[in-house]
Amino acid sequence: MPISRKYLPLIAFLLLSVWLLWPPAEETTNAGASTKHPEQAQYVIKFAAGWAYLPDTHPFGIGKPLQGLKNVIRDFEARFPDTRIEVLTVPGVREYLVTQLGSGEAPDILNVNVENVWTDVQKGWYVPLDPFLEQANPFVVEQGDATKPGYKQWWDMFRYQAISRGKAAPDGLNYCLTFDMVETGIYYNKTLFAKLGLAVPETWEEFIAVMEKIQAHRRDDGTETVPLLVNIGAFNDWTTDLFFDQLYYDLLPGIDLVQDPTREPYLDGYLDWDELAFLHQKGFFSARDPRYREVWQKMRELKRYTNKNLMTDDLIREFVTQRGAMIWTASPMSYRLSGDKSLGFDWGVFYMPSFTRTTSPYASGQAMCVIGGAATQLEVSNSAIADTDPSLPMRERMAQSQRLKRVIEFLQFICLPENNAQIVNEYPALLPNIIGVETLPILQPFAEILDRRYTTTKWIFTFDLRFSEIQQRMLELYLTDGIDLDGFLHWQEQNLDAAVANMLKRKVPDMQRLEERWQALAPVRATMQDLPMEEPQL
Amino acid sequence: MSVRLQSPLSCYAIVLPSLVLLTTFVYLPVVWAFASSLYEFEIGADSHFVGLAHYGEYLGQDPTAFPSLANMLVLTLIAAIMRMSFPLIIARLIYALPTERWRYIYRIVFLVPIVVPGVAVQLIWADMIYSDFGLLNELLRGVGLSHWTRGWLADPQTALASIALIGFPFVGGFEVLIYYAGFSSIPESVNEASALDGCTGLQKFFRIDIPMVLSQLKLILILTLIGGIQGFENIFILTRGGPGFETTVPGLWMYFNAFSFQRMGYACAIGVLLFAIIFGLTLLNMKYFKSSEDLQGVR
Repeated sequence: MPISRKYLPLIAFLLLSVWLLWPPAEETTNAGASTKHPEQAQYVIKFAAGWAYLPDTHPFGIGKPLQGLKNVIRDFEARFPDTRIEVLTVPGVREYLVTQLGSGEAPDILNVNVENVWTDVQKGWYVPLDPFLEQANPFVVEQGDATKPGYKQWWDMFRYQAISRGKAAPDGLNYCLTFDMVETGIYYNKTLFAKLGLAVPETWEEFIAVMEKIQAHRRDDGTETVPLLVNIGAFNDWTTDLFFDQLYYDLLPGIDLVQDPTREPYLDGYLDWDELAFLHQKGFFSARDPRYREVWQKMRELKRYTNKNLMTDDLIREFVTQRGAMIWTASPMSYRLSGDKSLGFDWGVFYMPSFTRTTSPYASGQAMCVIGGAATQLEVSNSAIADTDPSLPMRERMAQSQRLKRVIEFLQFICLPENNAQIVNEYPALLPNIIGVETLPILQPFAEILDRRYTTTKWIFTFDLRFSEIQQRMLELYLTDGIDLDGFLHWQEQNLDAAVANMLKRKVPDMQRLEERWQALAPVRATMQDLPMEEPQL
Repeated sequence: MSVRLQSPLSCYAIVLPSLVLLTTFVYLPVVWAFASSLYEFEIGADSHFVGLAHYGEYLGQDPTAFPSLANMLVLTLIAAIMRMSFPLIIARLIYALPTERWRYIYRIVFLVPIVVPGVAVQLIWADMIYSDFGLLNELLRGVGLSHWTRGWLADPQTALASIALIGFPFVGGFEVLIYYAGFSSIPESVNEASALDGCTGLQKFFRIDIPMVLSQLKLILILTLIGGIQGFENIFILTRGGPGFETTVPGLWMYFNAFSFQRMGYACAIGVLLFAIIFGLTLLNMKYFKSSEDLQGVR
């Protein structure tokens, strides 16, 4: 049937539109990095690499499409012709993990916060990496230089040992390869600071004073400037850990009950989940604990200077349009800002200033600790041992699986400095965790922060997800004046009681050992002030 | 080509595959959900029988239960009022237009926004209207009411109302179309008779038109109840149920329990309770909300 002439202009318009909107050839995306067809490969390894290194993508819409990971995969496949690495884009959410792992359909290598893995390690969904990390990296060995990190133990290749080893699960095993690092910092508008005569604050009091001056300042159009842009996730996670560390550090000699021989050299004084559970039973982290009250009070003080809506705002937009003077976020922001040619101001980075005795009588005076750490956290799923009998114990499956061997080889390959640099340093967002790979200059401030002492604990990753969900909700309510401190602490205590009970039920720790250690440390605690009253055990 | 069915058996045979699929994918999951609610289990782990404990826990111990049920009730009630009023008026106004051409144009105008995905609508409202520098706060600043500005979705005083008011001016194309279809099906003789009797304007709207579209109102009410009780996606996108539990609804808590907290059995119990509420309300609706056919004595 001939097309009526009256439709010809419409068709011409549509064709023209398609032609105008056709993406440039260089931007053609291809999530898979391999050029090999699956049928040619004996091993097709599925790799959920995460957003940072996904081949052919443009992080923040800046620069050329990423090629680093793709090139390394190409080299690996050339080395192992029977293997194909398939890079997948998968949702980084727990719903996806649970369903895929439960059905044995998850990618062989996942990139997910390892704390989300800990909850499920007893189900056999993940492969512990310790036996491999404690062996040499064969690709380093074949280079023949016995002085190179990795020649004796793969572990030795990692620069940030405390953080990398600190990712061990509560069962003592390490399910996570810490591929690179991230740290938070407060990005500030240098131009505005200069205009208002402000200096980078070094103490909490100076920080508050800076924010008050910014809050009082009015822009040319009469509108206010938000001193600090921050979201509820940062309050729930980073702020809680930083303030907790500031106020509890001096108590550690009397309350750090377990010194794990493997992790203690790296995680000096870290409070693990069983210690937190035990201390809570002793009355810590309750309304009766003055330091615990102070943590949340200080947080509400900080909220006075932040954006009103902690949940849904696009904070980066507010910062680049200069509606906010500072933004507390992570190192990839450096790439975003440095790539913005129309940014109308200079920027810099500083870290959260520490508390003083003026801030709180419980302040330790220590510099704010590291709360960031592992960024890309690679875990090996049960799909990697799918070529073995599921009824066998994990150790046997690991020993038998040829597929797992190839998966581990791939992980060892991407840890070689020359390969790691290609991937991590392709653009400045995350910091390399492999010795021999330099941190890009723009990220140097974050490297300096990462040299600090690691946090005393990671609250929201210690207990179950219900605990962190409820804490975040009630914290938001408290920070927005929907509930007072006592009301919040009441909720928080109930929340912690439930989380502790759940943890004790699932993990059955040796609480008697902790009790003995608690008794032994009684003389140390006797010298300490304002400890909470003890409560009977649950 | 016409096909003549030889016996009732043929009819059953044709319907059977649909029935099997319906049973497999709808009824069996409902039964499975009820059975699962009697167990404490999580994916990939062992399960054990707990009987009705989850129901007792939700209704007796879970501090989110009654606040979230109240939130659900408020949101559903507001949605029902909005969906049964504004679109009805708009449909009636369109129906009253003198020419079919303009009636058609207006129907299309109100229908087109349906193609915008719900997620996009929520994000537009969150980002453009309710954000710190969004339309609402900027308007308030513009008229010198800066002290009224707030994080609309973050403030416990306004969060639930802000969610309820998304969709302003509440003229959904789907509802307009349904009501318009109802008005169009009013027999011309009824309109003529009412005109002869001097029944016009608002009197006709309330005495003639509304009774004649009761079936449509009933349909919209049932759909609103089901959507209001089951739905949580918009809240998940906008506030995740916060601050606190100020905007949490049972469906959202069910979702968190199932996939985040790994309490599948507990989540199933919440789901079964929601099913029971919907079922009960639908029965009440069927029994007490007369349709236009009932009024005309058709049944």
